[in-house]
Amino acid sequence: MLGAFSSEWVKLRRRAMLLWGLGGGLFFAVLATIFTIERAVRTPQFFQGGRGVRISFAELEMPDGLVHGVVDVSGLIGIVALCLFAGAFATEYSQGTMRNLLVREPRRSRLLAGKFLAIAAFIGIAVVLEIVISCGVAFALAPGRGISTSAWTSSTGLNDLAQATFHVFLASVGYGVLGAAIGVLLRSPGVAIGTAVAYILPGEAIIVGVIWGGGDHWLPGQLLDSLAHGGNDNSSYGHALITLAVYVAAIAAGTLWLFRRRDA
Amino acid sequence: MASSIVTHALTKRFGERLAVDAVDIELPVGVVSGFVGPNGAGKTTTIQLLLGLCRPTSGSAEVLGQSISDPASYLGRVGALIEAPSFYPTLSGARNLEVLTRLGRIDSRRIAEVLELVELSDRARDLVRSYSLGMKQRLGVAAALLPNPELCILDEPTNGLDPAGIREIRGVIRGLADRGITVFVSSHLLAEIEAVCDHLVMIDSGKIVFQGGMDRLIDAQQADIVATPEHPSDAPALAELCIAAGKPARVERDAVHVQAPEDWAAELNRTAMAAGITLRGLAVARASLEQAFFAITEGEQGEG
Repeated sequence: MLGAFSSEWVKLRRRAMLLWGLGGGLFFAVLATIFTIERAVRTPQFFQGGRGVRISFAELEMPDGLVHGVVDVSGLIGIVALCLFAGAFATEYSQGTMRNLLVREPRRSRLLAGKFLAIAAFIGIAVVLEIVISCGVAFALAPGRGISTSAWTSSTGLNDLAQATFHVFLASVGYGVLGAAIGVLLRSPGVAIGTAVAYILPGEAIIVGVIWGGGDHWLPGQLLDSLAHGGNDNSSYGHALITLAVYVAAIAAGTLWLFRRRDA
Repeated sequence: MASSIVTHALTKRFGERLAVDAVDIELPVGVVSGFVGPNGAGKTTTIQLLLGLCRPTSGSAEVLGQSISDPASYLGRVGALIEAPSFYPTLSGARNLEVLTRLGRIDSRRIAEVLELVELSDRARDLVRSYSLGMKQRLGVAAALLPNPELCILDEPTNGLDPAGIREIRGVIRGLADRGITVFVSSHLLAEIEAVCDHLVMIDSGKIVFQGGMDRLIDAQQADIVATPEHPSDAPALAELCIAAGKPARVERDAVHVQAPEDWAAELNRTAMAAGITLRGLAVARASLEQAFFAITEGEQGEG
């Protein structure tokens, strides 16, 4: 498995991977941080029916205010991870390199696990970088708007920062499991990424809005969103974590079975 | 003689289509063996079965003495180029090989050695997307050589190459043979195989139609005696004389091709002289691999 892990890193260091894998998430994280701070208001504002809340200075000055923007776009960071995983697996099939890999590492479960862990590690580094740079941007912008940053550096603030980083990473890996499964199943990067994004973005929203109202408590995309936020109105953190663990175990087992059984 | 590949009634079915039909192959160690047959004959599927890339529907096989049900037990000693060379276009040639050395826990110093062997050292740092097809094929051969294999399986290594590229790959294969590596090379270009192989496995419609030494195949095919009269106008008469003597004959380009054993050439010469026909040429034309292949496959169909 170490060989597969190490081998995958040669590919992850490609310029395109760095650009889209790191740059994509970084773009969303920094943009969200800038918007959150620049559009913050002194008193909370509500639009029609309570939707579209603009964050207040008081909320941003809380210990967890530092990563408010990043956590809000954790879904988009997750989509980047999902595309990265789906593309990495499907491309091996579409360009014919999977056969080369299987000749050098015929133990398919090791190949799959090593490759997955390498991309997960890459995502981990990306999430940490995104949060570190977003924090830098937040610290740079906040004083200019008169937002106090003293709670951000308190022990509670640092603890919230660590937890938020872990949650966003965990959710991104969850998105990655889904992406890897779809990539192995469909074997075409375009189709795999398109299908995965279509399911997560409009797909689940349509299911929850039109077909199954209770889906926001059970569908994987909704649960991943809850996980990234450390729990939300739809699901508690514990419920999201346990349900996702069951999903991940089932999806990983199915993917492994398919990967091992199918002719390359 | 020890065998590097042995298959027993190896069969692979894709739905209704029988791609490999109860194939029995025995490949001696140390030979360069050609695996020939037309497109769609089952060559690539057989190779994929041998490499553990797909599972047989029935039958079994051993590669380097190990069952193909456990490819990890032998693939470390096998190099392979499967169909079209597939690489990561945005990685350099050397980086592509690094992906494989890291994966297979192969000494990274092999990268420079194999690139040198296929004469790609000067382009090692260039992205693969800038390589010509011939260079990609050579990189594919280099990838196959990374583990310093005992057995090298090359699937259509000359596909899409120009004559110069084909000659390069032929040279590489000869080089492998000189180093004692068993090579199993598939091709639908029979002339290519004839140029480099000393052993042959012929497949047609998923079935093995011949296997053995190249010389055995060629010898099994009756040679033509080619007699060229001094005057082209004498060729039809000479052909008639041969037919009258019980030997099938035909006129091709002013020469008479007679299907007869080699030692009948002397009798042919005497017959021509007795008829007042002077020969300016008398030779034995051995069947080419292509002729032998078609003779065998047409014979199989006739029997079927």
